[in-house]
Amino acid sequence: MPMAWTFRFLEEIALADIAFEAEGESLEEVFRGATQALLECMANPAKVSGEWERAIERTDVDPSALLFDWLSDVVYWKDAAGVVFREAPLTVTREGDLWLLQACLIGAPVDQQTQELHADVKGVTKHLYELKQTGGCWKVRVVLDV
Amino acid sequence: MNLNTDMTVNRITDEIWEIPMSEKPGMLVPARIYATEGILQAMDSGVFDQVTNVACLPGIRRYALCMPDGHWGYGFPIGGVAAFDVQDGVISPGGVGYDINCGMRLIRTDLTLADVQPYLEKLMTELFRKVPAGVGASGFVRLSREDFGRVMTHGAKWCVERGYGWHRDLVRMEEGGCIEGADPSIVTDHALQRGINQLGTLGSGNHYLEVQVVSNERIFDPVTAAALGITGHEQIVVMVHCGSRGFGHQVASDYLKVFEKAMRRYGITVKDQQLACAPFRSPEGQDYFSAMNCAANTAFANRQVITHQIREAFATVFGRSAEALGMELVYDVAHNIAKVERYAEGELVVHRKGATRAFGPGSPELPETFRQTGQPVICGGSMETGSYLLVGTDQAVRDTFGSTMHGAGRTMSRAQAKRTVRGEQLQLQMKKRGIVVKAVSMSGLAEEAGLAYKNISEVVESVARAGIIRKVLELRPIGNIKG
Repeated sequence: MPMAWTFRFLEEIALADIAFEAEGESLEEVFRGATQALLECMANPAKVSGEWERAIERTDVDPSALLFDWLSDVVYWKDAAGVVFREAPLTVTREGDLWLLQACLIGAPVDQQTQELHADVKGVTKHLYELKQTGGCWKVRVVLDV
Repeated sequence: MNLNTDMTVNRITDEIWEIPMSEKPGMLVPARIYATEGILQAMDSGVFDQVTNVACLPGIRRYALCMPDGHWGYGFPIGGVAAFDVQDGVISPGGVGYDINCGMRLIRTDLTLADVQPYLEKLMTELFRKVPAGVGASGFVRLSREDFGRVMTHGAKWCVERGYGWHRDLVRMEEGGCIEGADPSIVTDHALQRGINQLGTLGSGNHYLEVQVVSNERIFDPVTAAALGITGHEQIVVMVHCGSRGFGHQVASDYLKVFEKAMRRYGITVKDQQLACAPFRSPEGQDYFSAMNCAANTAFANRQVITHQIREAFATVFGRSAEALGMELVYDVAHNIAKVERYAEGELVVHRKGATRAFGPGSPELPETFRQTGQPVICGGSMETGSYLLVGTDQAVRDTFGSTMHGAGRTMSRAQAKRTVRGEQLQLQMKKRGIVVKAVSMSGLAEEAGLAYKNISEVVESVARAGIIRKVLELRPIGNIKG
């Protein structure tokens, strides 16, 4: 079964940094696509083991703010725990006026010998940041400061 | 003239270009770009759009400026300089950048290329071991929360008190490596947690540690060079480029959120979300200024701990103490910061984002050491080309709020650079040219290839001709460490 989300890196913007666009068939799927793009910016997830875990739960009335804050959480834990990530299974559900994100960050302490490390992402920016629904598809554009 | 903008850009001199206030609704001052015609033509459209957005911010004085290494940034362009009245003007994290007090440091040695060449591989390996770099790297200094608070308030002074450096280092840093008015109590726990383990780490991206050579023929002003401790004859120096790491980034992110809300309260509208700002005298503005100073001091401390490690690495490899090797600091200067400074208009909050303070010999703010030479300005080029040591001028104080360029400036995206060259291939090519490179990430190395940057010599020449710096010397890399 094909994945219900995709992402691609954008070259025409963010000359000195990293920009990507993620798409999903649902809000939850676009969260997954954007999360995967972010994890891959930092390290090759296939080469990261999974001995470190952190459950994260967030709510917001605005799904755009929810995604922004969640991606910022990922960057925060990278530095605060000194880890990179293998995966981040997540669900996004509606509870009344609120969107609820329940996620688990899974990864391992940084190890330059065994992992394939990429960029040290320092922040998720609001520059050109946009989450929108067009037809049956959700799309987000994210610029990361590296 | 072919420019990446439809705006009218008027030539003031061969190195100064002005976009009049009529070009965008809301501009309160004209925008000025320092560049040769060639550099101006190559500038991306974002520079023109962003520098004119900055010209719309409340309380801006005289001009919104962009230096020749300017390129697209967040809110402000990289290379952006803007000064706001302390009474009716604003402060904006977008005018400082995420990496608060990202800056440059230069350390001299008594060693020559002939001394170092036989041990270069060993030296770079030792430096790579001593100075952690790359994603998630943590430093050797273990800090309690109280210690980290002292780092925020005392900056490089804290390091020297702990034995990470020499007292005389402090006079050779902007603000003595310690900016007053830092209040750790208004820094979030998130910021603290991101930064507490990162003291003494280089980071990644365009941050680096470089071993360089000064040849006699590349010294343009031998008297000033000698006054700064550099005499040439293939002399070895070490350059460091890094900032406040995750801590500064979190401070910037935290206050962008605060300012988004504050702007509604103060009735401020901006052309770009990343220009979120607050009146400088407002509680939010003062809190950010204080938190920014915490991050700025942490960056001074970060570069000081790295200096300590560099001195130890050299001492290990060459079997003599760092003092015996003459490893004195030349200077440490910020290029992402906001500071209150006095100009003809009165007290102004000068934002420099990818721009360096460049005070001339006449500036009373300079310590005695630099009253004859002017303040040293360290400009890093790409790891394949060269870097420059310059000094500020009194004309810079008059024309550009005492500011100048900070580096070469990118011309190519990271993805395009990676497609053009592979990290392993670049490492090999550079080794053949006598430059030993140690990198945590090969893709990160490719992203920083020389072809991704402007020609730094042309960038330096344009600010020299504009009179806002004087050239002292050019430095050539022989070893580079990247995250």
